[in-house]
Amino acid sequence: MAAAGRAGPAGDRPSPAEITALIPLVRRVVAARVPDRATADDLVQETLARVLAASARVEPGMLEPYAIVTARNVVASLWRDQDRQRRHQHRVVDLRPPEAPDEDVLVQEDREAVTAALARLTDRERATLLAHEVAGQDTRSLAAELGSTAGAVAAQLNRTRARLRVEYLLALENAEPPTDRCRPVLLALSSGDRRRQREVDAARHLLECDVCARLSEPLMGRGRTRDADVRVPVQSDADVVAARSAAREVAAGVGFPPTDLTAIATAVSEVTRNIVKFADSGEVVIEAVEEPRGIRIVARDVGPGIPDVDRALDDGYSTYDGLGLGLPGARRLMDEFAIVSEVGRGTTVTMTKWWGER
Amino acid sequence: MTGTQDDGSRTGARTEEPRTTGSDDEALLPELVAHLREHRTKLRQQWVSRIREENLLQAMTSQEMAAETTSVYDNYVEVLETGSVAALQQYARDLSERIIPRGVETHEVVGIVLLLRDVLARSLFEKYQRDFGMLNRVLDAYEPAANRIANTVAVSFVDERERVIRQQQDSIRELSTPVLPVRERLLILPIIGVLDSERARQLTVQLLGGIRTHRAKVVVIDITGVPGMDETVANHLVQTVDASRLMGASVIITGLSPDIAQTLVTIGVDLSKMATIGDLQGGLEEAERMLGYAPSRPEGAPAP
Amino acid sequence: MTSGPRLFSILRQGAILIASIHTALDDTQLERFRADLIDRIGHDRAKGVIIDVAALDVIDSFATRTLRGVADMARLRGARTVIVGIQPDVAFVIVQLGMDTGSLVTALDLEEGLAHLAAVTGAPIGPGR
Repeated sequence: MAAAGRAGPAGDRPSPAEITALIPLVRRVVAARVPDRATADDLVQETLARVLAASARVEPGMLEPYAIVTARNVVASLWRDQDRQRRHQHRVVDLRPPEAPDEDVLVQEDREAVTAALARLTDRERATLLAHEVAGQDTRSLAAELGSTAGAVAAQLNRTRARLRVEYLLALENAEPPTDRCRPVLLALSSGDRRRQREVDAARHLLECDVCARLSEPLMGRGRTRDADVRVPVQSDADVVAARSAAREVAAGVGFPPTDLTAIATAVSEVTRNIVKFADSGEVVIEAVEEPRGIRIVARDVGPGIPDVDRALDDGYSTYDGLGLGLPGARRLMDEFAIVSEVGRGTTVTMTKWWGER
Repeated sequence: MTGTQDDGSRTGARTEEPRTTGSDDEALLPELVAHLREHRTKLRQQWVSRIREENLLQAMTSQEMAAETTSVYDNYVEVLETGSVAALQQYARDLSERIIPRGVETHEVVGIVLLLRDVLARSLFEKYQRDFGMLNRVLDAYEPAANRIANTVAVSFVDERERVIRQQQDSIRELSTPVLPVRERLLILPIIGVLDSERARQLTVQLLGGIRTHRAKVVVIDITGVPGMDETVANHLVQTVDASRLMGASVIITGLSPDIAQTLVTIGVDLSKMATIGDLQGGLEEAERMLGYAPSRPEGAPAP
Repeated sequence: MTSGPRLFSILRQGAILIASIHTALDDTQLERFRADLIDRIGHDRAKGVIIDVAALDVIDSFATRTLRGVADMARLRGARTVIVGIQPDVAFVIVQLGMDTGSLVTALDLEEGLAHLAAVTGAPIGPGR
């Protein structure tokens, strides 16, 4: 990294050696602002490329200051990009054309599906979406045209995109949703709105409806998946052991003390056994909760349901043999415990234990 | 929190003198280090007076302050020189260990490091203010390193502080529910003071663990010193007694006050099924009889 | 009979059967354990049974009932049962669950269990030396 001749060659362009000599400087400027090594390297490259491109316009002695400013600009534009990416993560249906030449048919189908999906939107939804996505009109000017606010337009666009995704998938699969509940569930999944998903009991619907279970996969694959969730499908005895081990592991990650780990694993064992005993199939979803710290376990099944939930929960304190559902015991081991059951459809048990309580 | 040297004067990199200095960038840090070494005394004193102005580290005497600030200063410069924070980390931990018991708070430690960052940045500013390009580069080199140092010290301190607090909590908890192996197979738990949920939980862990460690067959829990307990805790106590039995140990409770006995009855405990004995002495005699040691009373017959 | 690693073992020592569970068992495996053990009690005319559950990190309602069931059946066949090796956390959770364990005899470990059986059955421990 010897100092390159500052005077530069007689010509108007700096020599490659001079550019090379900038590397440590640029690297330091970038590294001070971008912690990730790989990204930093990319930015250093980009800076050097820009400096090189502009070098003819840069006065001989000004190469370094120019490189510093360029590096800062490159970093700043990375932040802007990241921000934009975050704001645009919700854009769906990848509108870029697929590349593989042998996928012509697929492309054709895809286009038809998009067209069909677009046709199912209202005129206004479609106009706004196209103005934004295709013509590149920003939300503020759209808001001005529509007499609304940018935020409201953005929210509306989000909902429209969510619908478009659902309609697109339905058109692509040539499927008509078998029940009234399908569309609301798919929409809730598509928009990533967890509250709405709970309201429409999306998870249960996916257990019951094969069409939605299949369609939901690409919808749920979007955005950030929360890796704190562990899902254990339950059908047989062995799954009970798997579910309680998984719960123990997640709880250990949350930092529960050993006695609590055993309590949580045992509670999971009880509620999971009910799925195996009384229902055809179901699942246990284990989730680490933050603020307050804790663990939440949802066990749901498609099955006969419990006719009298109160009775299932009440077996006195010290005896166990009531209805033998294992529910009262599980409830005593956890801090929060709720059952929703519908005869003929199934049961959902939601239980939570808070870290550091009791 | 931010250093005050970060004002507008650093923005004009692309303007000013076309004659940026010819020195290689690699030479910047050594130059900086040399500068800080050269002016060590003056800079350190400036730093100390800033610390005093801000009323930080008041727990320290002047001598201590002089000694510690010199060490921190030297460590600081060393990090700039070597780029390795290992030594500083170690020192920060040692320092934390020494000053935490004296009540030094996190903000003070972070504060003094930021002040030092500030003092040094100002001195660099003074030195290079006539050469903008150079100043810019020096600060670019200095700033990230200084931030890293501040971060290292803060993290070390907080870690150490948490460790000390945890240790203290643990030992207090253990002290609050002592498990005493008085003779082979026999444990005593004298509990004094209010049993709240956290202590009750601790008691369970200590007792059940103790049964296994000491291979205890009989446990005497003396609650003479417990003024009262709520139903949750009473219930917890009863559960602990049952759990002890599942581990093969019998529990005798001594010193049960009428109030607590009432609480136990209220939550549905059948007192006739719990081994309760008036005082600790009686409880110990019963325990020894159960263990088959020489009966101290004539009527101590072995179980049928 | 079992495929893969042995889930449990039942050994005879004099008039006493020592049944050790080696790993977490699911309900079907627990059922098989109970059936095998009860068969052996009859077959070996055991006077005492020790069940070592130290390897179980969860003893839930089903496991507790199974253990109780073994003890009851054993009693009908003239054998006493002692459960040994319940871990501290597990013991506490069994109680918290609200299981009725009143009829279960427990001891700290194998040694304690054997001592207890020797006392109550008068059976010599181990083959006569």
